[in-house]
Amino acid sequence: MSSDPVLVLDDLSIALATISGEVPVVEHLSFSVAQGSTIALVGESGCGKSMTALAIMNLLPQGFRCSGGRILLESEDVVAATPSRRRALRGNRMSMIFQEPMTALNPVFTVGEQIAEALRAHQNLGRRAAAARALDMLRAVQIPAAENRIKAYPHQLSGGMRQRVMIAIALACRPKLLIADEPTTALDVTVQAQVFDLLARLQEEMSTAIILITHDLGAVADIADDVAVLYAGRCIEQGATRVVMEQPLHPYTAGLMVCVPHLQPGVMAARHRLLAEIPGMVPPLGQRPTICAFSDRCTRVGNDCLSEPQPPLFTLAPTQAVACLHPLQRETTA
Amino acid sequence: MTMIPMPAHPEMLGPANPPHAPGPSPPLPSPASPAAEIATRLLRRPTGLAGVLIITGFLLAAFAGPHLYPGDPFDVAGLPFSPPGEDLVLGTDYLGRDILAGLLHGARATLTVGAIAALITLVIGVAIGALAGYFGGALGTALMKITEFFQVLPTLLFAMVLVSLFGQTLTVVTLSIGIVSWPPVARLTRAEFLRIRGLDFVKAARAAGAGAPYLILRVILPNAAPPIIVAATLAVGTAILFEGGLSFLGLGDPNVMSWGLMIGQNRAYALDAWWTVALPGAAIFIAVLGVSLLGDAFNDAINPRLRRRT
Amino acid sequence: MSAPALLEVDGLFVHFEASRRPKPAVVHAVDGVSFRIPRGTTFGIVGESGSGKSTTAQAVMRLVPTTAGAIRLDGRNIIDLNGVALHEVRKSLQMIFQDPFSSLDPRRRAGNLIAEPIRLLEHRSKDETAARVDELLAAVGLQPSAASLFPHQFSGGQRQRLCIARALATAPALIVCDEAVSALDVAIQAQILNLLLRLQAERGLAYLFISHDLGVVQHMCDEIAVMYLGQIIEQAPNSAFFSRPHHPYTWSLMTAALPAGPLRQSLKKSYLATGEPPSPINPPNGCRFASRCPFVVTRCREEAPELVAIGTGHWVACHRHDEIDPPVFA
Repeated sequence: MSSDPVLVLDDLSIALATISGEVPVVEHLSFSVAQGSTIALVGESGCGKSMTALAIMNLLPQGFRCSGGRILLESEDVVAATPSRRRALRGNRMSMIFQEPMTALNPVFTVGEQIAEALRAHQNLGRRAAAARALDMLRAVQIPAAENRIKAYPHQLSGGMRQRVMIAIALACRPKLLIADEPTTALDVTVQAQVFDLLARLQEEMSTAIILITHDLGAVADIADDVAVLYAGRCIEQGATRVVMEQPLHPYTAGLMVCVPHLQPGVMAARHRLLAEIPGMVPPLGQRPTICAFSDRCTRVGNDCLSEPQPPLFTLAPTQAVACLHPLQRETTA
Repeated sequence: MTMIPMPAHPEMLGPANPPHAPGPSPPLPSPASPAAEIATRLLRRPTGLAGVLIITGFLLAAFAGPHLYPGDPFDVAGLPFSPPGEDLVLGTDYLGRDILAGLLHGARATLTVGAIAALITLVIGVAIGALAGYFGGALGTALMKITEFFQVLPTLLFAMVLVSLFGQTLTVVTLSIGIVSWPPVARLTRAEFLRIRGLDFVKAARAAGAGAPYLILRVILPNAAPPIIVAATLAVGTAILFEGGLSFLGLGDPNVMSWGLMIGQNRAYALDAWWTVALPGAAIFIAVLGVSLLGDAFNDAINPRLRRRT
Repeated sequence: MSAPALLEVDGLFVHFEASRRPKPAVVHAVDGVSFRIPRGTTFGIVGESGSGKSTTAQAVMRLVPTTAGAIRLDGRNIIDLNGVALHEVRKSLQMIFQDPFSSLDPRRRAGNLIAEPIRLLEHRSKDETAARVDELLAAVGLQPSAASLFPHQFSGGQRQRLCIARALATAPALIVCDEAVSALDVAIQAQILNLLLRLQAERGLAYLFISHDLGVVQHMCDEIAVMYLGQIIEQAPNSAFFSRPHHPYTWSLMTAALPAGPLRQSLKKSYLATGEPPSPINPPNGCRFASRCPFVVTRCREEAPELVAIGTGHWVACHRHDEIDPPVFA
């Protein structure tokens, strides 16, 4: 994984135009993903994680625009690319899977046609070759009886199958980068595990770089190498997943870790105890302060937090950076 | 491949106030009702504003016009076929009747027919559609069969039969138009009811003790109203055209001045005295255009996908 | 089994017709489910989509017609009640839905929404109702001024608080929570779960807690039932359930829900179920989990297992429950 990063986000900012001027949606976000590795963007709804994904794909909804910074896909600036170049990049060198596979698949075409369509559009394959590759892809995503299912329409498949088809379409052209926006949220728990396993296996085969967007830090620990925690459009902690999960430094990350009632087999004392909760909620768009946006919910808030602007990310450990004036202490023992 | 950008999460867009937030809580948003919001959005659209202005203009003409420009529109006011601008502003028809008086007085009849026929359309259509959509089953099937029966009849022919059977009065004409126009509204209402009936807040209302009448009238109907109102607005336009059509065929009420009647009675002279037909024709055209603009703009205003993010 | 529990569900069946042609298809949404919820306790139902857990919840609420069985509230069967009698029952039986964005009528103000059950089920003066609405808003942590706002002006968590206030309006004894937190952000989930726990302690509420999230269920519930394709396949008190589950399907669910790490990686190979649940239309005769079970034998496909007691309050429906040792999860 020492090769050049597939994707580099350099100080990316996204803004939304409103009647009363532009409001920031994402501010000064930087990260990079290497070939074959996975970064998770974690945060609550409205934190800007999905908008970041759409910005990389050049699919920002009307009104949103990249207001600063660069997005480099294999050193090529995506934001500055011409529209036809962007279309060529999308699908071919990067692709995306969505939370709800039913709405992302076209209901009037068979899944085989939809996979072949992606191949024909981007790889100039003939009809026959594309159909053959489509079947290969369906087998690769472990759809049983792929020969029959290739003729199925999306509504004839279960939720897990549809997400597998989405993955097949997204990976058909062997993209360098795959963005997965909450790919398993709409699926059953046992199926979620299967889909994550599948993604990990395909990633290994194709050395795809993956950006995984999620609201649940615990769910991605197995497959994400790095994690960036977003709060109100700003990255507040970033680092190796294992390190961040074991020893979060930002109070918000720590709060996210403990407020989820994770399954603890064999432990009986947990029942009916109040969970540690983060009071309040994320400041809405357009009402974000210039000081630390988490300060009104933070238990470690000091006077300097309320007077100084949001601190930038600074490195506290070799693989961990945090944007906080009063980070939690790293335990130096061990 | 369709890869539609997801709409931003509503939570990002709406103002909200944290209940437990330490420190001063942000000001509460103003409690604007959805209806007020839709009205604002409607008037902000050029088409919506144009529609409202046209309709208001015609309503003023219909109700104030006869007072500002008194006189019986059936009276002879000058020589037949005098062109506009000579004796009278808009000229006279084949009997020498004042076209302007006809237009102003006829506006009342035409717009009334349009409004009442649309109301009848709405009442029958909503009642049948709501019952069919809410109860479904055998009752729903039966009601939809009746609707289909009415829908396959050629509407103009059916209306003509009704008028010739029950007499050429404005009341019969209005009723006939209403009776032949309701099936599309019934189908639309049924579809909306089927959709909304399955939503969680309807179940929540049932769990809170709501019975069928309450659910139909107080819960589902208000939520189904916007597209139905659009359909009703468009039905006004259709009804005005219908009245014109019936009158053109000589089946209007000969004792009440209306735009349709003016066209119908002057149609033989259209080539010699264009204004006798073109002016009431233009009035119908603009009125229907106004109603359609209003309906379309309303449709856009209630469509959340087209709402501007503010 | 001593005095009647607050809610007793006995042999509940909910079938509905999916189609008549070309061949009759009956959806066995709920197929013989029984459980009881004592006053002031939380009973959890876990399952995947199509397991019938939501249908069970709606049947208890009398929102879907039942095919057979009894639902007793305080010993009284409510399955055939109608009109005034059903109104009486609804006062003590309320529900919170999964999606706070679709379960509130978008055209009503919050105050009106909270007052609706009071208006429909109780006869109170306007002033009394208004006072009650204020009190309920305070109980769920919302400001009194929230009463004049429309649902779209609230955030997801605040909307779910509104739903809870509405459910509390007629002082019910049991609240059915159908995936009440799964649509919320994790930080907000904790707030709502804590609110539910506080309200339970203050008011002695019982919850029927439907969820797919075992972590949440372990945290909230006194007793847990796992449903698969319309049937309960395992049921146990919290401690027994999470220390020694006995059904292969429960193992699969628990494996999937384990925190990431080497334990989960190693258990996944042998215990995670493959594939997806079959359709609940005309389900097979044998064990319904047979098509996905890693431990399936011929008998499983031919004969449906009965729920048998294997401990105090611990029931499991598996032919091989005494042959295979449960995995060690901790």
